[in-house]
Amino acid sequence: MKKLVYDIINKLNRNDISYADVRFTNTDEQTIYFEKGVLKYFGSNLDSLALGIRVLADGCWGFAGTTILTNESIDKTIKKAISNAKLGSRFRVEPVEFKKLPAVQDSYFYKPIEDPFLMDDKFKIDFHEQIAKKLVGNEKIVYSYVYTEFYRQYKIYANTEGTMVDSLVYDSMPKMYVLASNGRESMCRNWPGDMNGKRGGFEVIRNVKMEENTDKIIEEAIQLLDAPRIEEERADIIIGGGHLALQLHESVGHATEADRIFGKEISYAGKTFIKPQMLGNFRYGSDLVNIYSDSLNQGGMGYHVVDDEGTPGATVDIVKNGILLDQQTSQETAALLGVKPSSNMLASYADDIPLIRMTNFCLAPGKGSLDDLIKSTENGYYINFTKTWSIDDNRNNFQFTTEIGWKIENGEIKHIVKEPTYYGITPEFWAACNGICGPEEWEFHGTFHCGKGEPGQAMHLSHGVAPARFKNIVCNVKA
Amino acid sequence: MNLREQLVEICDLYPDLKLNFHYSFWETDFLRFYQSQINYNISKTSVSLSTTIYQGKKSYSFSLKDPTREKLLEKIEEVLPIIDHLPEDPDFVDLEDDKTRSSEKEKANNIEKVNLDTKIDILQKVADAVRPFDFKIYGTFICNYSTLYIINSNGLNKREISTPIYLECKAVSQKNEVTVLEVYGGENIGTFHEKKFISNLVNKVKAASGEVVDVEAGEYDVILAPRCIGEYFLNLESSMTAGSLDQKQSFFEGKLDTKVFPENVTIIDDPHHPDLINFDYNGDGRIYQKMPIIENGVYKNFIVDNYYGRKLKMERNGADGAALVMKPGGKTLKEMIGSIQKGLYISSLHYMNFINRKETSITGLTRDGTFLIKDGKITKVVNNLRFTEKISDIIKGITDIENEAVTIPFSDNYGEFGIYSAQMPHVKVKGFKISSSTRTV
Repeated sequence: MKKLVYDIINKLNRNDISYADVRFTNTDEQTIYFEKGVLKYFGSNLDSLALGIRVLADGCWGFAGTTILTNESIDKTIKKAISNAKLGSRFRVEPVEFKKLPAVQDSYFYKPIEDPFLMDDKFKIDFHEQIAKKLVGNEKIVYSYVYTEFYRQYKIYANTEGTMVDSLVYDSMPKMYVLASNGRESMCRNWPGDMNGKRGGFEVIRNVKMEENTDKIIEEAIQLLDAPRIEEERADIIIGGGHLALQLHESVGHATEADRIFGKEISYAGKTFIKPQMLGNFRYGSDLVNIYSDSLNQGGMGYHVVDDEGTPGATVDIVKNGILLDQQTSQETAALLGVKPSSNMLASYADDIPLIRMTNFCLAPGKGSLDDLIKSTENGYYINFTKTWSIDDNRNNFQFTTEIGWKIENGEIKHIVKEPTYYGITPEFWAACNGICGPEEWEFHGTFHCGKGEPGQAMHLSHGVAPARFKNIVCNVKA
Repeated sequence: MNLREQLVEICDLYPDLKLNFHYSFWETDFLRFYQSQINYNISKTSVSLSTTIYQGKKSYSFSLKDPTREKLLEKIEEVLPIIDHLPEDPDFVDLEDDKTRSSEKEKANNIEKVNLDTKIDILQKVADAVRPFDFKIYGTFICNYSTLYIINSNGLNKREISTPIYLECKAVSQKNEVTVLEVYGGENIGTFHEKKFISNLVNKVKAASGEVVDVEAGEYDVILAPRCIGEYFLNLESSMTAGSLDQKQSFFEGKLDTKVFPENVTIIDDPHHPDLINFDYNGDGRIYQKMPIIENGVYKNFIVDNYYGRKLKMERNGADGAALVMKPGGKTLKEMIGSIQKGLYISSLHYMNFINRKETSITGLTRDGTFLIKDGKITKVVNNLRFTEKISDIIKGITDIENEAVTIPFSDNYGEFGIYSAQMPHVKVKGFKISSSTRTV
């Protein structure tokens, strides 16, 4: 396939094309889904090939992608990418500028401890069935599921500047869920949370210890039916890592994607409250808040040698000591902002156009354990396990509900509360951060399903976080 | 022999198995624009075959890109030993067996009819029209063409062609980023009225050029634009399926033939409505026909697919909820706005998610034009607002319905960018709960 990609790049090395890149992906995906103890879906999508060609000509981007890899189809795809750029330039006011990049030639092959695509299918099914069977039987549990996705992608990236990198990665994402009902209302619990994707193979599934936690989530879901709701108007909240990863994702991650500043995502994902003049001076959070984009950490799903326009992986401070410093950028948007490109241009499959995407988007750890943080909280709630989320067009006003919360009084956990719902304004919320746990609590959480772009793409990405505390947050919103 | 014919033959080759095929050819020409200029145009082509094999009550599914008979037969032989080892699904009864065929109309490929040059010509005119008000246009202009064959061992051999056109155009103020939206969707470019589209957008731009104010959280009388009430009903569909009954997540559980909403609320799922994007079949291949969902406030029918219909012993109906039509009322929009002393006009909604699906409690935001109504008139632009509310309460709060309905296209932006539509009027809702302001537009 490398030869095929080389041949296409050679065809695109023309005077009328200022830059072009070609990507090829071969993706394997497998899904296991048990519902109410019964296998409802076991399926795979293996050797799914795709090719994408992006061309910059006459100051305009053109893109074409296909899953049909015959010579005829490839030639048609090349022509379509070029004609899309040239015809599109009719409706282009400012030509796109693209700085020359150093050529990179490299390979990266991740090796999982247990390759799910080489394992016996019966073993994987039996493993999940054992968990699924433990979720049924209690009469108050009216619905349950166990769901795992395995993913492996081989990618070749090449561009007309001489870069050629191939890579192979493995990601896995397990989840189990129960819904309890007393006939009047229903409450749910899941494990290990919604940000449950990680780099790795079957070891990811073992590490989250689903079987050991079935009784716990059943018990908690049933207890939630009779649990109180938060009654205080405002309270200090400690957010657990799994949910904090989503809070970071929505209110900082997406807000600092530079394509939003220029309105490129208005039609679907939205805008951002951030303006170019805020870089270097806007207070995004308290002094404790340090947030960075890190595509060099091999532990997260956002690691890469180069992104999908050839920019080498990088670590970039986005917020330092509470001050907004930078954005997640492409070559084009970095030039418009006068910053260095941050290596954040990625596409889900080769036949998708690259967009600015989070890679490993992280909140730096502070000090101490979660126990220490709870002990130092006089009155508040520890909340975790995302139930719902929503954020506005400008990423300024968010509202989240978690499945469960725990009341804290004088540094001790007292009882659970149902559906804690809090809302905030992004910079005010991060400015209220007055405690972040230390490296011993810091870990990667992630998802396979970050949606962006049109036609929609779902991206795998990670967030490194440790639990953190936020003071005086509005937390009793009710429908 | 083409692959469609070969798939029928392959069903016969394995009489002991039940095979279910979705064989699709899909292409798109997808233009995205911003700041009144092109961002990029994407052309994509994909051919795929999704297959589920049932051996008794055991099943395995797989997907092949660029499929051939040889690839498929090889894959079937590869997975048969795997199926032997799988646990059974005791709830599985059989595949869809409805052989009724729709007209299966031929449709001209709109990617060719509305090519990139044509799209640019239209966008240039729209950009020119809003420029004098210091607005620029942002959005997408899409044409798809897809052919789906649904073939199974029960003798189904159906085809559905779809070629929607979708233009979503936001005009954004270059002074303060106030945004307004105009959308067209359909399968016949002849129904796109360029002048009307532009004049609608310009009228919205004019309304959006005024002062921007904030409002307090609280309860308001609101006018929901057709797009908004359509979105609430689409979200409520998650309670209208047989699957949601099985998962104990349906608001309508135990409410069939019961009055749940005001008498003036009637909703029909009408996939052959002349003003809507039409559909022949549901995902199982069952013929998709007109069906009442809510009649004069009474909940009438669940959307029942093959799997859950058989499991729950409910009559399967092929409905899909992709063509909702709300019966108009008796008031003009002007009368409805005129009846509000202090309230809001909400143009569009954003990022809605259920807090509790069974209770229909939801949170989300307004977007693309929220306006203050004072003394019966739209006066100022309001910042985008958050609502936290039960959809059932919003519908119960409908006091007036506009006397005409308009076609609203929606996009389903996952995978192959599905486009469908609904026909909705404006509605007036009493006591709509605004829970906070975003302080931005």
